[in-house]
Amino acid sequence: MLSEETRERILGYLPRYRTKRAAILPALWAAQDEVGWLNTEAYEEVGELLDMHPTDVAAIASFYYMFHKQPMGQYVIEVCNNLSCELQGASEMLEHLRQELGIQDGQTTEGGQFTLRHQECPCYCEFAPVMQVNTETYGNLTPERINRILTDLRAGRPALDGVVHGPDSAALAAKVPLNGQGGDDGGAG
Amino acid sequence: MATFEPVLLKYADDPDQHWIDTYLRHGGYQALEKALREHTPEDVVGMVRSANLRGRGGAYFPTGVKWGFLPDDGNPRFLCANADESEPGTFANRAIMDNDPHQLIEGCLISAYACQINTVYIYIRGEFSFSYRRLEQALAEARERGYVGRNILGSGFDCEVWVHRGAGAYICGEETALLESLEGNRPQPRLRPPFPAVKGVFSLPTVINNVETISCVTHIVNYGADWFAGIGAPDAPGPKLYCLSGHVNRPGLYELPMGTPLRELIYEHGQGMREDRAVKAIIPGGASAQLLTADDLDVTLDPGAIMAKGSILGTGGVMVMDETTCIVRANLNTVRFFANESCGKCTPCREGTRWMVDVLARIEGGGGRTEDVELLLDVCDKINGKSFCLLGDVATWGLSSGIQKFREDYDRHVTEKRCFAAVQPTMAA
Repeated sequence: MLSEETRERILGYLPRYRTKRAAILPALWAAQDEVGWLNTEAYEEVGELLDMHPTDVAAIASFYYMFHKQPMGQYVIEVCNNLSCELQGASEMLEHLRQELGIQDGQTTEGGQFTLRHQECPCYCEFAPVMQVNTETYGNLTPERINRILTDLRAGRPALDGVVHGPDSAALAAKVPLNGQGGDDGGAG
Repeated sequence: MATFEPVLLKYADDPDQHWIDTYLRHGGYQALEKALREHTPEDVVGMVRSANLRGRGGAYFPTGVKWGFLPDDGNPRFLCANADESEPGTFANRAIMDNDPHQLIEGCLISAYACQINTVYIYIRGEFSFSYRRLEQALAEARERGYVGRNILGSGFDCEVWVHRGAGAYICGEETALLESLEGNRPQPRLRPPFPAVKGVFSLPTVINNVETISCVTHIVNYGADWFAGIGAPDAPGPKLYCLSGHVNRPGLYELPMGTPLRELIYEHGQGMREDRAVKAIIPGGASAQLLTADDLDVTLDPGAIMAKGSILGTGGVMVMDETTCIVRANLNTVRFFANESCGKCTPCREGTRWMVDVLARIEGGGGRTEDVELLLDVCDKINGKSFCLLGDVATWGLSSGIQKFREDYDRHVTEKRCFAAVQPTMAA
């Protein structure tokens, strides 16, 4: 069930576009922000708000990699393995994370703290190899740096080692929400 | 050689540049004011046309000519800033939005004024959370100061700017797929014609320009068309953001005159190859581009010169591979990307890219058959030029050029039944 706040946020996007369905991406982001992933109810409720059949909504959502079709861990770790990162050891980083977390790509650790997956190039190639944790980007990775990041996240501390945008990012995240919503979006910084 | 003074990245290192007060102190929004007060929209189109600004997204089509395709039919028009930067090896647009977001916003407003557009959508990829936030923060400031919204600076010109956030799909960088995505449809490319200028978003006339392209417009208005046309390669002039990555000592974003020699980019700006190894291959324009070899190091990085070498400047994403690199593995890496990102609309791309991945993985894994290399070339030929959009075509370019130029890598894999790369991908220092 989407909250009244989320429903209002979705309706608030409509004046930006000439059709209701054009608001589907911000609407799905808003739903995912609240629920954590997109379930059948989210498809139904977004569909109701935008005059779309839930199947139609699901067909759009399924195209996009960043819309989650199942519950995810608290921290979603995404490792780029495209060429610039691969040339700098991305495969080793991914393998190191598999070992450290004890899971394979696409899996979530028991207890739901970490989900691991590979991602296509997020266009941070000057910092290769890179990974993103929720909305934070980490660069120039080494196994040691990954360990420090994991240690911080496990301890519930902001992980700042290797963070590309520095402390700026956390401050900005606290102030400017993604998708025009209020509150925390789960940024790892 | 005289040092080139950056234009687009001039203030990128100032940590306060993203704030409107700093931007204004550095001369920001003066071009917008000048355009609104001193120039007609036609004047601005004329300036961009005589500056010979060409689209930085990779096609290098003249921007002013593109703007001229808008029909004079009285319909509302739209501008879409293509900020769906997703080409592997590219990070120029992100740098502009992260560090100098008002530069893009000002460029959007001037472009919108030139094309008599009142609504701008900045379509930004979902992974750019930081850029998104910087843009929203900058837009809020610009609205508050009267640079965005109704009756901008008392000129009577209205323009609203919305940031539209994608959700992870490379194909949305293709301009007609971007329109489908923006309209809330599955983002599969549209047939052209009609071109977006005639029938774009919501079936209305639409201009779609890349972030770097739009950012250039501000400076053309400030310093004039002649100034811009006099920078770098005469065929496609202006400052260019080159994204350097791979086996170089100093990967990074370098703003240089269009037509800077590849050798200068790698050995001066990039400070040479890691561990002084030799260059084996270069991808000059993002993962879509054909491979160049060490013999091509003296090529200049402009669209015409790169094309003469059988590749494309594309996004200016220059990826450098040293002598330890296995080309089969590199080709597999990029082909796998395109297979994953194929939108599935047309058969050659949807099916063909999967076949290429299968055969490449077989060769790389040591199970390649003698006929596999020819089979790959045959599959390339059956996709290239026969796909619905460019994604299928470009998926073959790196591979076919890799086979042609580094055939011995392929043959050795097949005969020795293993990958022989002397050094597996090394760790970052």
